Amino acid sequence: MENLIITDLSKTYNNGVKALHKVSLQIPVGMFGLLGPNGAGKSTLMRTIATLQEADSGSIQLGNLNILENKNELKKVLGYLPQQFGVYPALSAEMLLNHLAVLKGIINRKERKEMIQNLLDKVNLYEVRKQKLGEFSGGMKQRFGIAQALLNNPKLLIVDEPTAGLDPVERNRFYNLLSQVSEHTIVILSTHIVDDVKELCPRMAIINKGKVIIQGNPSQIIETLQGRVYEKTIQKNELEQYKNEYQVISDRLYLGNQIVHVISDIHPGSTFKLIEANLEDVYMSQIFNS
Amino acid sequence: MLYEFFIFEIKYRLRRPETYFFFLLLFLFSAVGVEFVFQGIDLGLVKKNSPLVIAKTMGAITGLSMIIASMIMGVPVLRDFQYDVTSLIYVNPISKKNYLLGRFLGSLVVLLFIFSGLLWGMMLGEFIPWNNPNEFLPFQFINYLQPFIWVVLPTLFFGAAVFFTTGALSKNLMVVYTQGVVIFVLFMITKGITNETFQALLDPFSLTTLTKATKGWTVMDRNSLLIPMSGIMLLNKLFWIGLGILALSFGYIKFQLMVINERAVNKKQKQKVKPLVITFTKSLPTVTPVFHIKAQFVQLLLNAWFHSLSILKLISFWAIILCCFIVILVNSVSLGTSYGVDSYPTTYFIIEELREMSIYFFMIILVFYSGEIIWKEKDVKLNLIHDATPLSSFVNMSSRFLGLLFVYAIVMLSLIVAGVLFQTLNGYYRYELDVYFFGFFLELFPFLALYTFAAMFFQALTGNKFVGMLATIAFAIINVAVGVFGFEHTLLNFGGHSLASYSDMNGYGHFLNAYLWVKIYWVLFGLLLLIFASVLMVKGTETGLSKRWTSGLKQTGKSLRIFCLLCLMLFISIGAYIFYNTNVLNEFWTKGEQDNFRAGYEKTLKQFEYIPQPKITAIKLKVELFPSQRAYHIIGYYIVTNTSPLPIREIHVQKLMESNVELTDVTFDRSVTTNNKYKKYHYTIYQLSQPLAPGDTMKMNFKQTLEPRGFETNNADIDVVYNGTFFDNAVLPSFDYQKKYEMQDEDNRNDFELAPRLQKAKRDDVRELVNARSGSDSDGINLDIVISTESPQTALTSGDLVAKWNADGRNYFHYKTNQRIINFYPIVSGQYEVMRDSSIPLGNTSNKPVDLEIYYQKGHEYNLKRMMESMKMSLDYYSKHFSPYQYKQLRIVEFPRYRTFAQSLPGIIPFSEAIGFVMDIDDEKDVDMAFYVTAHEVAHQWWGLQLEAANVQGQNMILETLAQYSAIMVLKEKYLNNKVQQFLKFQLDEYTEANLKSSKKELPLALVENEEHIYYNKGAIAMYELQKQIGEKNVNEALQHFLNDWHSFNNPKKPNRYATTLNLIQYFREVAPNSKKHVITDLFEHVNSIE
Repeated sequence: MENLIITDLSKTYNNGVKALHKVSLQIPVGMFGLLGPNGAGKSTLMRTIATLQEADSGSIQLGNLNILENKNELKKVLGYLPQQFGVYPALSAEMLLNHLAVLKGIINRKERKEMIQNLLDKVNLYEVRKQKLGEFSGGMKQRFGIAQALLNNPKLLIVDEPTAGLDPVERNRFYNLLSQVSEHTIVILSTHIVDDVKELCPRMAIINKGKVIIQGNPSQIIETLQGRVYEKTIQKNELEQYKNEYQVISDRLYLGNQIVHVISDIHPGSTFKLIEANLEDVYMSQIFNS
Repeated sequence: MLYEFFIFEIKYRLRRPETYFFFLLLFLFSAVGVEFVFQGIDLGLVKKNSPLVIAKTMGAITGLSMIIASMIMGVPVLRDFQYDVTSLIYVNPISKKNYLLGRFLGSLVVLLFIFSGLLWGMMLGEFIPWNNPNEFLPFQFINYLQPFIWVVLPTLFFGAAVFFTTGALSKNLMVVYTQGVVIFVLFMITKGITNETFQALLDPFSLTTLTKATKGWTVMDRNSLLIPMSGIMLLNKLFWIGLGILALSFGYIKFQLMVINERAVNKKQKQKVKPLVITFTKSLPTVTPVFHIKAQFVQLLLNAWFHSLSILKLISFWAIILCCFIVILVNSVSLGTSYGVDSYPTTYFIIEELREMSIYFFMIILVFYSGEIIWKEKDVKLNLIHDATPLSSFVNMSSRFLGLLFVYAIVMLSLIVAGVLFQTLNGYYRYELDVYFFGFFLELFPFLALYTFAAMFFQALTGNKFVGMLATIAFAIINVAVGVFGFEHTLLNFGGHSLASYSDMNGYGHFLNAYLWVKIYWVLFGLLLLIFASVLMVKGTETGLSKRWTSGLKQTGKSLRIFCLLCLMLFISIGAYIFYNTNVLNEFWTKGEQDNFRAGYEKTLKQFEYIPQPKITAIKLKVELFPSQRAYHIIGYYIVTNTSPLPIREIHVQKLMESNVELTDVTFDRSVTTNNKYKKYHYTIYQLSQPLAPGDTMKMNFKQTLEPRGFETNNADIDVVYNGTFFDNAVLPSFDYQKKYEMQDEDNRNDFELAPRLQKAKRDDVRELVNARSGSDSDGINLDIVISTESPQTALTSGDLVAKWNADGRNYFHYKTNQRIINFYPIVSGQYEVMRDSSIPLGNTSNKPVDLEIYYQKGHEYNLKRMMESMKMSLDYYSKHFSPYQYKQLRIVEFPRYRTFAQSLPGIIPFSEAIGFVMDIDDEKDVDMAFYVTAHEVAHQWWGLQLEAANVQGQNMILETLAQYSAIMVLKEKYLNNKVQQFLKFQLDEYTEANLKSSKKELPLALVENEEHIYYNKGAIAMYELQKQIGEKNVNEALQHFLNDWHSFNNPKKPNRYATTLNLIQYFREVAPNSKKHVITDLFEHVNSIE
C-alpha cells in the first residue's frame, strides 16, 4: 500500500498568520493521530491534504500521485469529514447520502443502495434514515458525517475532530468502525483529546503553531520522557511559585487540591513523586516547550 | 440601551460594503432614472425635471428598489439567528422594546442614507451633458426635495416596517429576498382594479395616485406645481403609513426574545420507520466508483433532477409562482384588445399575454435561484464535503444549469395548462398545443437559458451570491441599453434578436431560420461561459479570483479542454456563417449609417424634388410571385405623359431602396443616355435623346426582381412571405426625389444640419396642391396585371378578374380595370377561404350587382357575417347619399399580423388578421368594431379613391375624418343610439389621452397634419356634432356637392389641383342655417376642448 508523504508544506494566510511551516510527515496505512492545541494548524493541514485549500509551497504525494497537481484524482479515493459542516435540513439522511454517493461516482444503483444501508447501520442511523436532517441532534449529524466520508471505500480518510459531540457509547462505536477501516486505509485523525490517539493510533504527530514538533509511535514517544516526570500535590496559591521554580508541564485540580507535573532530569526533591509518563505528559511538555 | 442597539446597527452597517454599494447603485441608476422610467413615453411639453415627472420617477424607482429595502430591513433580527448569537444576546437583561426599536431605527437611518442616493442621483441627472436643455426647467432644489419627502419617505417607512416585521418573525432569509418582490406584485395587482379611486388609494408607490391627483392639470400646471399634499395623495399616504405602524405593532406583540420558537419544537415528531430485517455485512461492502463519460452523464442528469427538486420544494418558489398566477388572473381579462374590443382568446394572444406577464417572474426566478442553486452547499456549510467529492466541476455547473432549465420548463407547462383552462372557461375550444409549445419553448426558453448561462458565470466570477445576483441584473440592464446605443448587430447583442410574431396565416414564416441560427450561436457562447464558470467556481476555501483561475485551470481535464475548443470553433464558424448571411449576402446598416445615408440622400437630391416629370397614365405588368422563395419577378411598362407646359429632357428614376431588389432593363421608346452619378442612392437619370414634348406620351419598360439571399435578423422583410404576401405599387420604380427616405427625427436632422421637416405642406403650397399623394407620379391610371403565384395560393389586386388559369403548378390571375383608378394598388397572395355574396348598392343607377368577397384564413370565420353586412350597408348608404359605387366588386383580403391596419385600395381592402377577424364582439357590452372598421374602409372607396385631397395640411380631415363620419352614419343605421354614444366616448378617451402625450401644439382639424388622435378621434366627434347641429341630411348634401365638384375622374369641372379643407368647409357653410355657421368655425377651424 502507498504512503502519504508530505514534504515541506507551508501556508501563510493573507493576514500574516503562518498556519503551516515546513510541515513534513510520512503517513502509512493505518490510523495516524494528529494532535495539537486549538489553532495549531491541524485543520489547515487536513484541508490542504483534502485539496480544498492551496499550499504556498511544498508537496504532498500519495504513492505516485502528486495531490497538489491532480486534485481530482485524489478526490476519487478520498473520504473527508470536516470539523464543521452542515446539511440540507429538508432532506433525509438516506437522500443526502444517495446524492453524495452519486457525486462520488457510485453510479450503480444497487451498489449505492447496499452501501448506504450498511453505513447507516454502522453509524446507528438506520432507524432514522427517513427523518429530516434538520431534526437531527448534534451527535446524529456527526454520525451522518462519518457515514458520508466512508461512502466510496476511501484509500485516504481524513477526519477532523470526529468525536466532538458524541457520547461515550457512540464514540466507541465510531472508533471500532475507524480501526476496522484502517486495516486497508490511511486514516488521518485530528483531535486535541490525547486519549483518543493513545487508544487508536500506531503512529502520531504533534503539531503546534504550524510546525511538526514530534512524530512517531506513541509508546516510543512516551519512552523519551520515562523517568523524568514527577508529580506533587500543592496548595492553590503556591502554583505561581512552582511555575517559576520548576518546569511545570501541567496543573490540574484533583479533589480541590492542585496537582502539578514537572519535568526534571534529576529528582526535584522528596516531596515529588516519580510517575509513569503518559502521552498527555508528552503532549503538554511539547506544547510547553515550543 | 435603546441607544446602544441603535448605534450598534448603524456602526455595523457602515462597516458593510453593500451599504455603499446600494447607495451607489441607486445614485447611478437615478441619474438616468427619468430616461429609464419614461422610456418610450412621449412627455410632450411636460419637462423632464417637473415635480410630477420627478415624483413618478422616484415612485417607480422606489418600487423597483423595494428589494434593497427588504435586504436592509429584513435582516437586523434575522442576523442574530443566522450567526447563532441569539443565545448570547437574549440571555442578557434587555427589553424587547429597546432591542426591536433600536434595531429598527438604526436600520431605518441606514435605509434613509441609502435612498438619499435617489435624491442626489436624480439631481445629478439634470446636469448630464447630453441632456437636451429644451426638455428641462431651470434647476429647482424643492422640485426634488418635496417629492422625495412626500412620495418616497412614507413608502419607505411602510416598506421598512413590513420588512422588519416579517424578517423578525419569519427568521427566514428567503422571505427577506422575496418580500420586496411581493410588494411589487401587490402593486401590479392594484393595476387590475378598475375603480380609479381605490386603485389610487391602494397603490403603494403612489404612481396611479399621482396620475389621479393630477388628472385635470394642464401642461402649465404639470411644469410648475408641486405634488399635492391633500385629497387622494393624502389619503394614500395616510393609508400606507397607517399600515406600516400596524405592521410594526403586530411585530412587536408577536415577537419574543426566545432562541427557539415553540411551534417548531412541537412539530418535531419522530417519524416511525418500520424496522426492516436486513442482514448487514460486518465490514463495509465494496463499491466501484466510475468516472467515465457515461458516468458523468448519469451524474449530470441525477444532479439536475436533484437541484430542480430542491427548488421545487421551496415555499418561496411557490410564493413567486402564486404571485405570478394572481397577476395573470387579474390581468388576463383583456386579450389583444383593439379599438376597445377584446379578441377571441386565440392561442397566440394568450401566449403573448402570458409571456409578457410571466417574464418578470421568470427573471426573478432566474436571478434568485441561480444564486441559490450555486451557493446552496455553502449556505448550509456542506461545501467542504461537497467540494471533496470527485465530481467534475463542469458536470457540477451544468447540472445546476439544467436544474434551473427544468424549473422553467415546469413553470411554462403550468402556464400552458393555465392558458388552456382560460380558453376553456371562455368557451374557446381550439387548443393549439403546438403553438403553445413553440410560443414558450421556442420564444421564451432560449432567452431564459442564455441569461441563466450569464447568471451562472457571474455567480462563479464574483464568488458571492449577492454580488453575483446584482451583476446579473446589471448585465441584463446594460445589455438592453447597449442595443439602444448602437450595438445593434445580433452577433454583438447578447442573446440575439427576438422571434417575429406568430401569425395564424404565416406561422413563424422565414423568420424562424435566422432566429434558430442566432440562438445556436449564443448557446455556444453560453456553453463557453459555463465552462469558464466551472473553472472559476469557488472550490474548498479558496476565494481569490486569480487563485481560483489558476487552480481551476490546473484541474481542467483534457476532455473539457477539447469540448471548450469545439464550442469555440463552432461559435466562431456559426458566427461567421451568420455574418456571411447578414452582412455579405445582405446589407447591414447601423442606425448611424442609415442616418448618414438619409442625410446624404436629402442633401444631394432634394434639388430634384419638384422638377417636371411625366405622369403615369397606364400600367401593364406581369408579376410572378414565388412565396416559398419570398421572391418576385415583375416585368412591365408604364405609359407616361408630359402634363407640364415644358418639354421634359430627363427622366429621374428612383429604385426602391432595399437590398436584393434589382431594377433592370429600363428602356424607353426612344434612345437615352444613362447618368449614374447618383447610383449610390439608387437614383438614375435617363437623358432623352428626343425630349418629351408637352402633351406627348411615351413608354417606359422595366424589369424588377426581388431575390432574397441568405437571411437577415431584423425581422423586417414582411412584403413577400410564405403565406400572406402583401405589398403595393410603392415598391415599383418612381420618378424624382422621394420624401419618404428623409430622416424623420428632428433631433437627428438638427445634428446633420438639415432644416426642420414639415409634416405637411401649408394649405396654399402650390407645388403640393397638385399632388394627391406625397411624390405622386400620376393623376390616375388604367391597370392591366397578370399575377401568377404558387398553387394553391390566390393572388389579388385591384380591377376585374378577366381570366384565371393554372399552368405548371402555378395559378395565374389576369386583372384589368374598366376605368381610371388612382395609382395605388396592392399585390396580395395567400391560401384563402372565400366568402362570397353580392348586392346592388341602393344609389347605383345601373342594376348591375357588385360582387362582395372576403378572402380569409381558415379558422377566422367569427366576424365574416358582420363584415359582409357592413359592406352591404355601407355601399347602400354611401351610394345613396354621396355618389354611386364605382367598381364591379369589393374584396376584403386578410394579411398577416406583422402590420395591424386595414387599407382601402381600388375595389380591394387588405385587412390585417390582428384586427376585426378575431374580435370577440359581445353585442351587449361592445361596439361592433368589425362592422365599423369595415364601414370606415369602404367609405375610403369614396374619400380617397373617388375624391382625392391635396397633400397639404387638412388632407387627413378630408380622407379620414369624412370616412369616420360615413362609418358612424352606417353604424347609426344598424345599431341603437347607445352604441354610437359608446363609440364616441371611446373616441373621446383616446383623443384626450393622446393629446396629453403629444408634444406638439394642437392644430385645428382643418389644418391637421399626421396626428391620428385629431383626424380619427376628434374628427369623429366633431363630425357627429356637426350632423347633430345642422342635420345629417344637410351634411350629406354638402358632401355630395363636394364630391361632385372635386371628383378625381371624368370630371371636367375639377380645377387643375386637388381639394383642401378650405373647399370642404365651404360646402358645409353653404348648407348650414345662418344660426349654425359659427358651429362649423368652432368645430373645424378652432382648437376647442371637446366634451
